[in-house]
Amino acid sequence: MSQKDFNPKILGFLCNWCCYAAADSAGVSRYQYPPNLRTIRVMCTGRLDPAFVLRGFAEGADAIFSGG
Amino acid sequence: MRPRYIDADKCTACGLCTKYCPRHLVDQYNEGLAITRPIHIDYAQAVPATYFIDPEACLYLKHGTCQICVCTCQSKAIDFSQKPEEKELHIGAVIMAPGFGRVPDATLAKYSYGQHPDVMTSLEFERLLCASGPFEGEVKCLSDRRHPKRIAFIQCVGSRDLGCNNGYCSSVCCMYAIKEAMVAKEHDPEVEITIYYMDMRTQGKGFDAAQKKAESMGIKFVRARVADVMPWDKNLKLTYSTMDGKHSFEPYDIVVLSVGLDAPADAKNLGEIAGFALNEYDFCKTETFAPLLTTKPGVFVAGAFQGPKDIPESVTQSSAAAGLAAGLIVKDRGKALVHKTYPKEQKTGTDEEVRIGVFVCHCGINISSVVDVASVEQYTEGMEGVVYHAQSLYSCSQDAQEVLKAKIKEHNLNRVVIAACSPRTHEPLFQETLKDAGLNRCLFEMVNIRDHCSWVHANEPAAATQKSMDLVRMGIAKARHIQPLPEQTVPVTAKALVLGGGVAGLTAALTLAEQGFHTTVVEKEDTLGGHLQHLSFTLQGDTVSTVLGNLTDTVKKNKKIEVLTNTELTQVNGFVGNFSSVLTTTKGKKTTETTIDHGVIIIATGGREHRPEVVLGNPVEYSEAIVTQRELEKRLSGKGKNLAPKSVVMVQCAGSRGDDLNYCSKVCCNHAVKNALKIKALDPASQVIVLYRDMRTYGFAEDSYRQAREQGVVFIPYTMDNKPKFKSSGKKTSVTFYDPILRDEVTMNPEVLALSVGIVAEGTEEISKLLKVPVNEDKFFLEAHVKLRPVELPVSGVYVCGLAHSPKPVEEIIVQAQAAAAKASIPLCKGFVSVEPTISCVDKETCIGCGLCESLCPYQSIRITKDENGKRKAETITASCKGCGICASHCPVFAISMGGFTDEQINAQITAFGAK
Amino acid sequence: MGQAKDKKSGTVMVVGGGIAGVQAALDLTELGYYVYLVEKSAAIGGAMAQLDKTFPTNDCSL
Repeated sequence: MSQKDFNPKILGFLCNWCCYAAADSAGVSRYQYPPNLRTIRVMCTGRLDPAFVLRGFAEGADAIFSGG
Repeated sequence: MRPRYIDADKCTACGLCTKYCPRHLVDQYNEGLAITRPIHIDYAQAVPATYFIDPEACLYLKHGTCQICVCTCQSKAIDFSQKPEEKELHIGAVIMAPGFGRVPDATLAKYSYGQHPDVMTSLEFERLLCASGPFEGEVKCLSDRRHPKRIAFIQCVGSRDLGCNNGYCSSVCCMYAIKEAMVAKEHDPEVEITIYYMDMRTQGKGFDAAQKKAESMGIKFVRARVADVMPWDKNLKLTYSTMDGKHSFEPYDIVVLSVGLDAPADAKNLGEIAGFALNEYDFCKTETFAPLLTTKPGVFVAGAFQGPKDIPESVTQSSAAAGLAAGLIVKDRGKALVHKTYPKEQKTGTDEEVRIGVFVCHCGINISSVVDVASVEQYTEGMEGVVYHAQSLYSCSQDAQEVLKAKIKEHNLNRVVIAACSPRTHEPLFQETLKDAGLNRCLFEMVNIRDHCSWVHANEPAAATQKSMDLVRMGIAKARHIQPLPEQTVPVTAKALVLGGGVAGLTAALTLAEQGFHTTVVEKEDTLGGHLQHLSFTLQGDTVSTVLGNLTDTVKKNKKIEVLTNTELTQVNGFVGNFSSVLTTTKGKKTTETTIDHGVIIIATGGREHRPEVVLGNPVEYSEAIVTQRELEKRLSGKGKNLAPKSVVMVQCAGSRGDDLNYCSKVCCNHAVKNALKIKALDPASQVIVLYRDMRTYGFAEDSYRQAREQGVVFIPYTMDNKPKFKSSGKKTSVTFYDPILRDEVTMNPEVLALSVGIVAEGTEEISKLLKVPVNEDKFFLEAHVKLRPVELPVSGVYVCGLAHSPKPVEEIIVQAQAAAAKASIPLCKGFVSVEPTISCVDKETCIGCGLCESLCPYQSIRITKDENGKRKAETITASCKGCGICASHCPVFAISMGGFTDEQINAQITAFGAK
Repeated sequence: MGQAKDKKSGTVMVVGGGIAGVQAALDLTELGYYVYLVEKSAAIGGAMAQLDKTFPTNDCSL
């Protein structure tokens, strides 16, 4: 697979108060970004148990994004 | 009431009408730098989120033609039949918060404003910087759209200028200029920025640090007066003169005018209608010791109309004014409140069949123009637990709520998934509908396929549709595991504890007592009054002892207030609504301990005068000849002859702003001016010289600064590169300083050398440990949010005011104390604290009592207790838990679960992420 | 909102829907009073809504 065709699956954990809010305002401002991210909202990235990250990789994520 | 011509209940803020409206209109929200349409909304987040029609620009309302919007609007919200309405209201109190007005354009004309497009006001520049601004956050010259290389800010435009009758300082321009300069620099690190100023007035908490940061980013600060700005080829020529009398000029691409805050345009009108007086600048007239009372009883003032001020101070004043208004009509509390009722909640057991309803929203065309909504809806067919799915045009509209309720009943749904916009904005609305339908509001999950999908992948419809499907699948997976959560409330002991018996503590106690709450005031000294006992008069001419005497008498007479002197707080247990504190009173050798129960704590422990032993590198021995401003004030207000020294040199920032303390104490400049004026009043022949770095007589105190100069007080600036030197031998003191006008060193032998020393925090670290509330690097308490929660601390139920928060003048202390009392009375008058269900919960069986959660919790909301068998077990303090989940993610035995965000739910989402 | 039951008592009028007016209105409702928030333009928020960021933390102001 060439670099160009690589279409990664990214799983993101977004803090409700900052990163999720930022993703909302990116939408309001119509910023365009690649559609590779699937998100899970948490009330704080402090909720992010390392086990979630491992499970994400096990489920086929190419990368885990933590936004807090 | 003027009509919007749009039915707010029907408008969904989709924006289609603005798209089709044929007429252009200058966009006032963007300071006239952009174009909008007569039918529009100012900005996406506007509240109410309803469009409106400008009747002066609308073709139909002006000329009777068009009405294109009427057929464009899919929700039939446009209603040209709306008429202006008049309403008559009967009210118990009024709070005036009309804000500020604009400096007239005529004042800006000498800087070529209006003649050259690249000369702009700071508000215009702010819009230019903003992502929602005219160039989407790109800074460009308005003349030819080129990127500027050099930008100048001119301070004090329309402020400190009798030419436009604005003698006062607007108090905010230095800060916003620094902010805008920093943001512009972030946009383009190459841009050169110079700020031309008279005095940098960054006197607020943490403000000096921000200026230092700006300097380190390469922003230049030049002390100069700007003569004029003229067009110069493609550029602008800015001519300025510095202290040494030199005139210079520089070319710039953009010149930003830091315009001041004027009185609101309709101030006179408001004053006449409501019957209160204005001051000489048309701001609301108030007194030092009653800063929020207008001259009309029952009418309070808050915000910039009371005097130019920044956001945190406006917010503080508003809370304070709310507290005062509440105290005035306390007997009517709750009488006019409208309470909503809900049907009885149906039981949803854990073993009950999961019946999920999925609703996919079009959001007009906001989602459906990109995402294939029908496919997303169909995709859910046959998914485990899904018994109903549908699409809706606007799932947030009123009629959609009715449909939602009906479908819940019809299909006996016990979980609802809505794929639409953001839960941050719309979750409460849908949860309300669930409650109306008799479901627990937590049986709800929202999937954001608008903000996080259609809007941000507008050019990739297939990928956006796929992403929507994935997100919906993950949402449904979570929904299968969601459980009803109880609405929790914690009862509150309706009593308050105030730490500190200075003006802050006493004012807070009175404000609480006026609202009917029993308050205990704890003062560690023998007498009440704190810092104010050492002051004699104010800049505005009040006699402090009279005011303080009245205040302490009123407090002592109030039956709701208990005063404990010689007493300190030694132990605190509990949490918001349910504190239990041990107070230790020491009288002579005898100490007694009392325990009191209370719902809230206000910290008003004050600060003390800083007495540096080295000032600007000079060792200091305080004597009759070398005094602090406070000691000078005492001498000046004494009895007898020769109160005023024949000659005085005052040194500002003695031990402050990086000399010894790192911060500005905000009050010393006013204190120096106050004493200087007093000396001149006592003996006009007395010589007064003030050596300063920046004279920070902000707000209306600027008038006194000007008056002092007019009366012959000499103000000479010094820099940290060229500090004044002083020596004392015997009774003789000599001061040597550089005079930038003479361009030479000058030595004087004043009778008195008065040092303007700062204020330091006192005892804050002990209280910080007792209450587990943070202090900043300067040892002052750190508020929960600098802008929007200025008197609350991060621990629920604990508030701060006065010098313990930061140095500030008495007028601001009083407001802050009233605000802290108002905020503190919210849980007290409710009688309970309600808790969001999304908090942590410990499974006592599994917990091994390791205490990791207790040590990690940033809000002190989980603690280790002993169970009936004496085993250590963690326990959530529901009243103060913020639901962050740090405890849950760190628990080594998975004993902690987060409401609405359980391991089970998140794992289900992750598994669904992997499934295809 | 809805209509106040007893029009005379327990109500406060706040003139101006900027940050000061909005904060006062919020606090008053929390304290148990019905508030009429009067704003002359079409949206509340006032001058703060026009700001890009706020000093000194440079947080977004909306």
